[in-house]
Amino acid sequence: MKIEGAYTFEAPRERVWKVLLDPDTLQRCMPGCEKLEAIGPDQYEATLKIGVAAVKGTYMGKVAIADKEPPARYRLLVEGSGAPGWVKGEAVMELADQGDKTLVTMTADAQVGGLIAGVGQRLIGGVAKMMAGDFFKRLAEAAKFSGGAA
Amino acid sequence: MAEQKVEARFVGQSVKRLEDPRLLTGRGAFMDELRVSNMLHAAILRSPHAHARIRGVDTAEALKVPGVRAVLTGEDVRRMSRPFSMAVQIPVRYYSLAVDKARFVGEPVAVVIAKDRYVAEDAADLVQVDYEPLPPVVDIEKAMEPGAPLLHEELGSNIANHRLLRYGDVDRAFSEADRIVRGTYHFPKYSSTPLEGFAVIANFDPITGLMTIWSNFQGPFIMHPVVSMALGVPEHKLRFIVPADNGGGFGIKSSIYPYMTLIALAARKAGCPVKWIEDRKEHLLASSSGTDRVAVVEAAVKRDGTILGVRMKNMDGVGGYLRTPEPACLFRTTGNSVGAYRYQHLEIDAYAVMANKSPTGPNRGYGCQQLYFGIERLVDQIAKELNLDPAEVRFQNLIRKEEMPYLTPSGGLYDSGDYPEGLRKALEMIEYDKLRQEQRRARAEGRLFGIGLATVVDPSVTNMAYITVANEPEERARPDYNFKAGSGETAAVKIDPLGKVSVALNTTPEGQGHETIAAMIVADELGIPMDDVQVLAEMDTATRVWSITTGTYSSRFASVGTSAVATAARKVKEKILKIAAHELEATVEDLDMREGKVFVRGSPGKAIPLKRIAGIAHWNQARLPEGMEPGLHATTMFNFPTAKPPDQQDRVNSSNTYGFIAEAVAVEVDPETGEIQIKKYVTVHDCGTILNPMIVEGQVYGGVVHGLGGALYEEMAYDENGQYLAATFMDYLCPTAMESPKLEIGHVVSPSPLTVLGSKGCGESSSMTTPAVIANAVEDALAPLGISINELPLTPDKIWRWIRAARERAGRGGAG
Repeated sequence: MKIEGAYTFEAPRERVWKVLLDPDTLQRCMPGCEKLEAIGPDQYEATLKIGVAAVKGTYMGKVAIADKEPPARYRLLVEGSGAPGWVKGEAVMELADQGDKTLVTMTADAQVGGLIAGVGQRLIGGVAKMMAGDFFKRLAEAAKFSGGAA
Repeated sequence: MAEQKVEARFVGQSVKRLEDPRLLTGRGAFMDELRVSNMLHAAILRSPHAHARIRGVDTAEALKVPGVRAVLTGEDVRRMSRPFSMAVQIPVRYYSLAVDKARFVGEPVAVVIAKDRYVAEDAADLVQVDYEPLPPVVDIEKAMEPGAPLLHEELGSNIANHRLLRYGDVDRAFSEADRIVRGTYHFPKYSSTPLEGFAVIANFDPITGLMTIWSNFQGPFIMHPVVSMALGVPEHKLRFIVPADNGGGFGIKSSIYPYMTLIALAARKAGCPVKWIEDRKEHLLASSSGTDRVAVVEAAVKRDGTILGVRMKNMDGVGGYLRTPEPACLFRTTGNSVGAYRYQHLEIDAYAVMANKSPTGPNRGYGCQQLYFGIERLVDQIAKELNLDPAEVRFQNLIRKEEMPYLTPSGGLYDSGDYPEGLRKALEMIEYDKLRQEQRRARAEGRLFGIGLATVVDPSVTNMAYITVANEPEERARPDYNFKAGSGETAAVKIDPLGKVSVALNTTPEGQGHETIAAMIVADELGIPMDDVQVLAEMDTATRVWSITTGTYSSRFASVGTSAVATAARKVKEKILKIAAHELEATVEDLDMREGKVFVRGSPGKAIPLKRIAGIAHWNQARLPEGMEPGLHATTMFNFPTAKPPDQQDRVNSSNTYGFIAEAVAVEVDPETGEIQIKKYVTVHDCGTILNPMIVEGQVYGGVVHGLGGALYEEMAYDENGQYLAATFMDYLCPTAMESPKLEIGHVVSPSPLTVLGSKGCGESSSMTTPAVIANAVEDALAPLGISINELPLTPDKIWRWIRAARERAGRGGAG
């Protein structure tokens, strides 16, 4: 399953980069994220509570950040499993200047398995897009906020 | 059969079903209603991976949940049971639960046993399984390739079974042909979705060692010894009980036996009775389904449409394990591989291939819908390539009435029929010539209007010998080879002291009306009202006389089941007449039964009521004729003399009675939406003597709608990673009353010389023709666009894409 999206942040690239990689902000902005704990450099243990249609459940897994090219590009690796099945995905995030704003482009590929695939496959693309949209909207807010405070 | 004339008063009539009052008023008693004291409930944890090694299972957290009694894991199953026996000797170990690897999404990995289902399900979420995901393989042909991920490493390949069957001189047929016509056809994996899913209760008595398993199993009872060996419970200590009410099976419930075994193990581990009721998600994910097949078919034909010979390469996807009775989908049709046609030369290259999908098994029409999708599509392809009418090609090749009984090159013995008459009737009913004119007009208006035909043999009552064709003739020739052959079915009739009649069936009905038909037959045979007959359909292996072949499958009841019932009734009648002859001082030959009395033919005044004869047999045993046993009862096991083992040339009479189906269908395709509309559906059946026209009509409707599911809607779809995509009825689309076409049903009646009443099976019916006939009609509709139909289901999105691609091709062609 491929998910693509582009989001404009009203903040300069350096600041967006910081926001995107700040664990506290990430946890606050990630829909359903109950825990994001560093277990090593750029490695986190995460607990996510997500519902797709009737399949709601808690996923425990790992989030890792790799191939960092600040402030332009990084890879986000996610894997988790729970009662409703498992999720595994990889996203490439690219940051580009857009005047005094920043355009963040996400190219993600995710696999789901178990019950979640069997009953939610029709809906999962839509849900994932919605969640990604939500995530970036919150991040964009956070970037604005952190900009004001700076 | 011995001539014994019976005045039929009920047989042949649309007698209302005895089962319906209780079913329609909610008084049926299904598995879920059944309770055993101290019973606990099971929830099954299933693999979310298509292919994964199981490194460990941690049950500690689950066992802490209040109300949880035990958790059964792969280690327990490996220790407490043996792998199921299989039709072929290969190093594949199939247990009731994954012990080393999970090989399909939904495969059981652990069973939690708790005080109720809620607790069991919650605790199942806490079982931690350490999986090592492995690369899956989903596609049949890819699974056959060298280097494909192996499901069972010990086997060294994913091919569970391979046979090359050759009948006649195929090479000569192909060298003499004017033309070779070819096609590759993909038949999808779909199911039956019975209203009631799988259900099991198991109880183990450690004192007597008796294991009792209640379930909605439908037979064949060959699974009794299979489960006995898997559990290590000797057969006299293993009791299967099947309630009289069973919410549909269609073959799918033949494959419940791994769950019967699993819940039996759970009961043993928990030390008390355990119940498991499958939910719909589980059913769609991991119960059973029909077999998907890729068929590469080619025919050697003469210019006039005569088929000289056929070569087929059938590649079946049997799922993660070769679960008995698979690879039967490849061989159940061995005797009727030529369908309804006369060609003598045939080659079948048959492969059963394992891939990371749920295991397959019998599904209404088992093997036939797969076979006929290939053959009937090819016959239309022949007509197209030779520029002949598909009806003409069929008439050219159909077996003729005067050739009956007909021995096929692969050993099938077609007992009776008039196939050309069946096709003529179908064409007449649909007004074929007028319809072709209408099609010409529709095409002139740019509409996509098509007509499809299918003519097939409808085999019933399999001879279990067919499964041994999976073994090489050399293997079968070994002195220690255990042959299987036969089709027997049992029935018991008894008359109690006041003259009322009880009939015991072992046919595990699933809604087909066996009780009604049995009561009709016994009432006719004994000349009594149906009200005086009580039929008991609950099956109990401990108290009934049964055999390996007992059960409901391959449309057995109307053919062998009714023959057993009628034979048992006749045996009892024989005794009644002997007692009456003794009482009336007459000879048996002069006596007959009617209106609850035995009377002397020609002098109706000289009579004795059945009640009085029953009284003598039970109450006044001393008055019976010298040497006669007291009581009035008979048990029979009816078998066909035609159910023999295969010969060294792999010829086998794989069924015993063979009916016929001719169908003609008109469809229109909406070029803008890809939607298929069925304009007319004519279906003509020959199931021999029709016992109850209303029930036959119900079976025909059911068969068509079932086949329509495979043709247009249903597919147990997997993604390329082996993830299952259709675990709800929103994803797995079943046709409902809204999608059902109005049928015009016709009959040709060619009584079987082999059954007592002349009847043949009719339960599988059009489920084997509908996928083919719809595909033929849709291809005909899309012919102006040059589109071939080689796969199912024909969903609107596929049709729409094909139409668009064809138009683009045409556009490019025009521009170039």
